[in-house]
Amino acid sequence: MESLPPMFKAASLTTEYLLQGSIMEQSRDVLLQRLIGLCDDTKSPPDNFHDHEMVFHMKNTTIQQPLVYRVRHSLVQSDCWSLRYLGNTEMGDKNKPTLTRTSIDCPVSENVVQYLNELGFRMDHEFVVKGYYFHKGRMKVTVSKFFKMNQPSNVADNLEAVCPSFLVELSVVTALGQEGVGEDMKNFAEQLKPLVQLEKTDHRKITMNQT
Amino acid sequence: KSKMATGAIPAAPAVNVCVEAVLESQIQEVRVVEKQEAQDGQEIQEIYAPPLSMSENLTKLAQKIDFYKDESGEKGKPTSEGEKEREEEKSVAAFQPSLWPWDSVRNKLKTAYTEMSVLLDVLNIAKEKRYMVLDSVQQSSPDAKLPLQLMSKKKALNSASAILLAGAERLKKSQAENSNKSDFHFELLKLRQNWRLKKSGNTILGDLSYRSVGSRYPHNSTFEVVKSTDLVGESGETTPTSTPRGSLEVIIPSELEGTAYIQVEVKSVPESLDLTGAILKMPSGLGAVHTYWQQKLEVAQNVLFCKEIFAQLAREAVQSKSSVPHLVVGNQIITNIFPGIQLSIVLCHSTGKEKDRKIPMSPGKLDHNHVLEHSLHQLLREVHNKNLRFPAPHPVTAMVGVSKKRRLAGPNALSRRELVEMTESDTMLNQIIKQTKHNVLRLRTLQTIDAFATSLNDPQLTTHWSCANNSLEASCRVFITSQGYDLRIWHSFVLMIGVDSIKIAHKDGRIFNLSFEEKELQDFILWQIAQHQTSVSQNLARMMGWQIMSMCAALGVSDLEDTGIASSLLLASPDHDRVLAVKSGPSSGVKVFVQSSQKDTNGKTQTLSADNKWQYIGADFKEVDLSKFEGKNFASKLELLMATLSRSVS
Repeated sequence: MESLPPMFKAASLTTEYLLQGSIMEQSRDVLLQRLIGLCDDTKSPPDNFHDHEMVFHMKNTTIQQPLVYRVRHSLVQSDCWSLRYLGNTEMGDKNKPTLTRTSIDCPVSENVVQYLNELGFRMDHEFVVKGYYFHKGRMKVTVSKFFKMNQPSNVADNLEAVCPSFLVELSVVTALGQEGVGEDMKNFAEQLKPLVQLEKTDHRKITMNQT
Repeated sequence: KSKMATGAIPAAPAVNVCVEAVLESQIQEVRVVEKQEAQDGQEIQEIYAPPLSMSENLTKLAQKIDFYKDESGEKGKPTSEGEKEREEEKSVAAFQPSLWPWDSVRNKLKTAYTEMSVLLDVLNIAKEKRYMVLDSVQQSSPDAKLPLQLMSKKKALNSASAILLAGAERLKKSQAENSNKSDFHFELLKLRQNWRLKKSGNTILGDLSYRSVGSRYPHNSTFEVVKSTDLVGESGETTPTSTPRGSLEVIIPSELEGTAYIQVEVKSVPESLDLTGAILKMPSGLGAVHTYWQQKLEVAQNVLFCKEIFAQLAREAVQSKSSVPHLVVGNQIITNIFPGIQLSIVLCHSTGKEKDRKIPMSPGKLDHNHVLEHSLHQLLREVHNKNLRFPAPHPVTAMVGVSKKRRLAGPNALSRRELVEMTESDTMLNQIIKQTKHNVLRLRTLQTIDAFATSLNDPQLTTHWSCANNSLEASCRVFITSQGYDLRIWHSFVLMIGVDSIKIAHKDGRIFNLSFEEKELQDFILWQIAQHQTSVSQNLARMMGWQIMSMCAALGVSDLEDTGIASSLLLASPDHDRVLAVKSGPSSGVKVFVQSSQKDTNGKTQTLSADNKWQYIGADFKEVDLSKFEGKNFASKLELLMATLSRSVS
């Protein structure tokens, strides 16, 4: 029997390294031009994506924090659905240039919502994301805008932007313990420096402000 | 001290008068104190105020002066009267008492202060230039002394012009310096517009490679930019062929010097895999050494590209597990495509430093297949692209770098075989071999058909090649027609030429798969020609009213043909007294036989029975010599024959 092709033996990609920043609406074009210049294989206008994400919670009487699963599907290629689990973001110490969190992503078929409902998950909230996508090597850069859905499960009409600014995210999903990823990301973020400040933001502060 | 006058009111006696000096100081206090001499006596002591100091004295005196005595008000006389009275009044008024010793001084100071404030306000307003402006007072101009003025003006102009001329001189000199040779920095700017440069330490380094577009070739490709050391003294006349010289030079790595190209050659060798044929080819002179940096860099980049192509091909050739072995010798890769056809890919790199060439190469010997060379370049660019070009993931959180099919492999439950198929991709060497094979096959087919078309004139071959083709597929349609009868009956088939096989779709729907051998195609064409002749005969027979008694597309009797199979036709004339047999085979050609009948013998032979109907059975067939017939081709000859035979005897 022939040996398995190498792709079946790859390490599981469970860690996401993340840097986030934000720009105002009027600076979007300048940032996009800079990214077109810096990233690989770009075209003008850049690739854009349009996704709809639903966040499911499973509440447990014993544990306070609910289990959160995210179902995201593309509104451009409507047969691509994915199920994602994101752990808590860790700031790490001062040496670490990026945020890290566990990220397990799995492509699924279209009946995942029904499946999760059967398991006992309940949808907590949903939103629509629209934006532009770039990549450089294995780094992914997205410039996205979030929309609130005023009517549940209606992704086309009645969308209202949550806020007029764009979220800029630089992320790498790779196996645990990879060296040098943070450095590469930091160097790339330096090149975007005057236009957008990509830094590690403490998510705990955001969640604390919400509660 | 004063002594009081002790005398009471005197009646008669004399009064004592005390004379004493005028008291200079005033009496401040009178006390009764004990007398110092007597025991019970008391004395009145007077304490005088301390004598006034100078300033106090002055104050006292100044107090007495009245500065602003209104004399006219005092006396009541009008002021227009004489000055004498004024003086009197002044002297009288001088002693007017005032309220406070310094009052007049204060008033004077106050007025002085008021005047100063006014002056300050005036100056402020004048400074603002809005309500008041200070203007110079026209002064009477002094008498102009014309000669003196002229002299002074002339001197001033001279000095000014001297300064201007000196400046212009300097500018001209620097301009002249710069126009002779172009500035290093200007050239550097132009270089930066075309190439990636980086400053490390004191040196400026650049990158020649294709790494930014996806190449992963680990070859040294940094070049260094330096100032040109030789002066441009001999610029002189620049001939049109000479390259422009700059003040900037680039130093490229030694392995990339010179020029290179990939030469692809397809040739037929009598024996398979001739090892002695693998000579190290040295190309002929490839052009002068370039001085201008742009050409130098471009040529070096081309060298790098060709080296990468060859390295990739050589690596694949060594690692391939195909049945046909590939031979890699020095700068040449040789492989057999078809038996007897060899493909050789050579990396020709001349560094331009060879003084004498040991192997003299005549220019005509280099046989380039430019199409395949271009394909090699395209293939490498394709490899680069695949390294870099990832489709965008939808949704955007999916894995970067995988295609949509791979991402949906899980949900769609693709089998292992399908997954393995997705990962397989053809190597560059395989791709170029496939292209070469198709190229060779197509050319051979073309030559075969053209050979038939030019040599045959009885049925005529026409070919139409399709313009929708690619490097691995081509197709053409072949028509077989007889001249003069081409609108009545024709045969056609479509040839679809693949990488190493040909598929033929016949007009009647049959599909034939041929291999790459030339002979198979030739046999097929001959067979089709034979079939065509039979069809023509059939068509003619119908047209002329002859009865087709039997038609056999594949004749099982008679001599075996060399290739293919013969077909036959049996025709009966309209008045049923003549029978023709037509047999056409690929190698035997077309033969017509006519059955002998009673009419030929003119009734000389005796028959056993008198009935007419017995005349038509069992007679021999005799071959007709078609070469003695009039007619351009077989069809017209057959028509003539049939016309002759069907002449009915009235």
